Amino acid sequence: MIKAILVFNNHGKPRLSRFYQYYPEDMQQQIVRETFHLVSKRDDNVCNFLEGGTLIGGSDFKIIYRHYATLYFVFCVDSSESELGILDLIQVFVETLDKCFENVCELDLIFHVDKVHYILAELVMGGMVLETNMTEIITRIEEQNKLEKSEKAKLDGTPVLIQTYETLDLSILNELREKIAKM
Amino acid sequence: MPTVKGDGMRGLAVFISDIRNCKSKEAEIKRINKELANIRSKFKGDKTLDGYQKKKYVCKLLFIFLLGHDIDFGHMEAVNLLSSNRYTEKQIGYLFISVLIGANNDLMKLVIQAIRNDLAGRNPIHITLALQCVANIGSREMAEGLSVDIPKLLVSGDTIDSVKQSAALTLLRLLRSSPDSIPMGEWMSRIIHLLNDQHMGVVTAAASLIENLVKKNPEEYKGCVSLAVSRLSRIVTSSYTDLQDYTYYFVPAPWLSVKLLRLLQNYPPPEDPAVKTRLSECLETILNKAQEPPKSKKVQHSNAKNAVLFEAINLIIHMDSDPNLLVRACNQLGQFLQHRETNLRYLALESMCLLATSEFSHEAVKKHQETVITALKTERDVSVRQRAVDLLYAMCDRTNAEEIVGEMLEYLESADYSIREEMVLKVAILAEKYAVDYTWYVDVILNLIRIAGDYVSEEVWYRVIQIVINRDDVQGYAAKTVFEALQAPACHENMVKVGGYILGEFGNLIAGDPRSGSAVQFQLLHSKYHLCSPATRGLLLSAYIKFINLFPEIKHIIQDVLRSDNNMRNADVELQQRSIEYLQLSSITTADVLATVLEEMPPFPERESSILAKLKKKKPSSVPEGSEQKETTASKIPAVQMSNNVDIAPPTSINLMSQGESSTDDFVDQGSPQGGSASVDLLGLGSPTQPTAPSVGSGGLLDMFDTLTSHSSAPATNGIDLGGLSGGAEEAFRKFICKNNGVLFENDLLQIGVKSEYREDLGRLWVFYGNKTTFQLNAFLVDVSTPGNLSESLSIQQKPVGGEVEAGAQVKQQFNMACVQEFAEAPVMTIQFLYSGAQQKISLKLPVVLNKYITPAEMDANTFFTRWKALNSPSQECQQIIKATSPIDHEQVKAKASGYCVL
Repeated sequence: MIKAILVFNNHGKPRLSRFYQYYPEDMQQQIVRETFHLVSKRDDNVCNFLEGGTLIGGSDFKIIYRHYATLYFVFCVDSSESELGILDLIQVFVETLDKCFENVCELDLIFHVDKVHYILAELVMGGMVLETNMTEIITRIEEQNKLEKSEKAKLDGTPVLIQTYETLDLSILNELREKIAKM
Repeated sequence: MPTVKGDGMRGLAVFISDIRNCKSKEAEIKRINKELANIRSKFKGDKTLDGYQKKKYVCKLLFIFLLGHDIDFGHMEAVNLLSSNRYTEKQIGYLFISVLIGANNDLMKLVIQAIRNDLAGRNPIHITLALQCVANIGSREMAEGLSVDIPKLLVSGDTIDSVKQSAALTLLRLLRSSPDSIPMGEWMSRIIHLLNDQHMGVVTAAASLIENLVKKNPEEYKGCVSLAVSRLSRIVTSSYTDLQDYTYYFVPAPWLSVKLLRLLQNYPPPEDPAVKTRLSECLETILNKAQEPPKSKKVQHSNAKNAVLFEAINLIIHMDSDPNLLVRACNQLGQFLQHRETNLRYLALESMCLLATSEFSHEAVKKHQETVITALKTERDVSVRQRAVDLLYAMCDRTNAEEIVGEMLEYLESADYSIREEMVLKVAILAEKYAVDYTWYVDVILNLIRIAGDYVSEEVWYRVIQIVINRDDVQGYAAKTVFEALQAPACHENMVKVGGYILGEFGNLIAGDPRSGSAVQFQLLHSKYHLCSPATRGLLLSAYIKFINLFPEIKHIIQDVLRSDNNMRNADVELQQRSIEYLQLSSITTADVLATVLEEMPPFPERESSILAKLKKKKPSSVPEGSEQKETTASKIPAVQMSNNVDIAPPTSINLMSQGESSTDDFVDQGSPQGGSASVDLLGLGSPTQPTAPSVGSGGLLDMFDTLTSHSSAPATNGIDLGGLSGGAEEAFRKFICKNNGVLFENDLLQIGVKSEYREDLGRLWVFYGNKTTFQLNAFLVDVSTPGNLSESLSIQQKPVGGEVEAGAQVKQQFNMACVQEFAEAPVMTIQFLYSGAQQKISLKLPVVLNKYITPAEMDANTFFTRWKALNSPSQECQQIIKATSPIDHEQVKAKASGYCVL
């Protein structure tokens, strides 16, 4: 099971933290710090697996991570996960982010925290791998985007309605809005 | 209307930029607090916020939370967003809740209600959102609230694939967090058939769920084996174009393959020959594919391929039945050991560790010994080196022990601090387990102390002493070696401890050589004395008194040391007391008494190495249980057998070793510590304490009974509510002072009999619970408590007793007790049971009294009177005359005295 997914930059600033097991907030912060401490002092060409985190799990616990340019992607997992499998999953996650943001960079993660969470939610659910097929994931994300756009269009569209039907009284307008919302 | 550029939110972008521009932590906190105040006022304000605004604020809060600030408001707003019809609002609401709201939040009821509404709705996208939230929080409340809805979604025919996928993982999460709240039902039988689902995503999710169910109840889901094998076979034999989207860098469905291979590791090899053949074919195909040239140069391709390969190897090791496959697996791992990818070397070492425990492949693994040793020396990555240590430990046997231990010792000098302690334990275990020549063992341990003294835990040096004491062929060598080791100008305190102990016991064996004569030995030890901690000094003082016995010629030198102010008036009570007592002991006792008191340590009882227990505790995964078993039986170790029952180790010998820390408060109270017996205890020689006053007359004895019983009952009644204790029980308890068997308690429901036997410091007691009624006694529970600090003096081990006592039946329960030091109270036993629905509780004192641990001493009249006369100080004599209530019957007194354990 994946216990936590953390993304932080080379300076240890968290960019994403997702815990699949309950930890109090201060504990979460400590875990992020400890993990950064463990991972950041390692060279780039050593192996991507690492034991020794004390805060999550103890002996039945591994850190699997990848370092991309300015960001560390860290998955904290227990022994029921395949190390290489998780490594590939990180790759899928990053490739998906890359496709969704068109050349993803740290700033994208900062300014679109919500989006990153939604993408992750399509990959991992409750600490288990949900979907690994990137085409499928991107289809689902695009569906969401479409929905979002259509909802925004409705919002943006309302002022146009007001201009066109200036004479309409407000109650009718509200009814109209509700109808649109229900569509 | 706010202007929305792209899909971003301007307010959010501005806020984040502000934070990023903050020059200091203080400035950042200030900006955040300002924003929090702003959002709070917005949420509280009269103006209703529209969805966009709510979403913007929630995003801001998420960002602030990520930076490590607590968010204690906004929860209600988030919950409100859940019932919005807009997808984006619902989505952000769920996100906020699953990131920020803990399982125990008060709002959980509302959240669950919203989730239930979404699940009941027809919109798959809303259902997925709700499921995600459940899977991420997974609280008990959710499990209880949604226990019917989710399994239904999973097996229902009209659920779309993506929802099924999510439902499987959500159910898994709930089963994990509160397994008992999910009602088992019809869905269970249908669940394994999800492995045949068309959609690979559904199969992957279902495989995770099934594995969890299988772990709890393998029989129930046995059918999944053949389904998993056939699914696996279809994937493995497919070409990478068959599965299209589920092919990852030319590898067909790697994640699903891994999951299926893991699932199969929960079962023994398939019984059905057809399934078994099919599985073997799959595994062979996977091994074959590893030899094919890669279809892509990308690391992702090799990663995915090898993820499957490693899992296949794990399955081969798990089944441990096909020697051909095992050897192939081993060769494959051997190739990886030299692979340029660090990850593969790491994993190969890890898997080989498992392989080394299989009898078919143990020899094959040993072929790679050189490579592993090279890895230990040359790997740049500590994680990999750690794996190499693990593997060396696993592949070690009698044939290669000397080399492996040598290499590990050498590596220890430069090893990372983080793994030193574990390495020390491993070296110590291997050296002990495979020692043919115990001089080699002693050398290894002393080297360990020399190289990594700080990491040598107590268990390690206790163990070397235990072994030296138990094996007389190595004692002379050990004495010689520690003597040499102590000559180093700077030696570790642990070395001084071992040296002090061994020379104290066996210094005489090397004293023949004038270079290591008695005075030289003493001077050498004493030269370290002032640099040591009080605990070590205490140990050295004990070694000195032993020297007095071994080498009477240096008695005066040692007495001078004991007499020095530094010892006799030391601020440390323990040292002070030892000095005074040892000085007295050496000056007033005859050589005979001294020789008896300071006799060589008796051999330690054989038991599991405490080091092994420690390693197990430290790294449960690193000690393969099965291999230990196998090795011990295979390589019959003559002297030091290892059994696996840690619990049974008698606590007495621990005391022998921890003499440095033994508390002596009891003796301080006694005032005059000149009696030999006090020092005997302090030294922890383990010889039974003998009563200094054997039976003299019935008056004295009866008196002793009285003081004992009155003394022991007082604290018990004060401290513990003895509601169910009848007057008869106290009476019965007193009877047990002079006898070992009898009835302890009886009422209309229950009769409790006791049988006991004692030998030296160990006692065994059987309690018989007889059900006198014609009904079954349910929930029968017995608990023993030790009032006050009795637990320090008397350790009690209780065998479990069954939950029911049938009508008219009798059940037996055994207690093992070890007396550590003297005690006054008796342990209290609380018996609880249900008799025709009514709770019954009986509290009784367990008849364990101090005198049971007295051992009579055989001696003739002369010896007795010599001893008797030696007790001449006034405080050692006490006389009290009481009036006998009945005429003195010689036979009766004799029976009582023998029951009292003094005859």
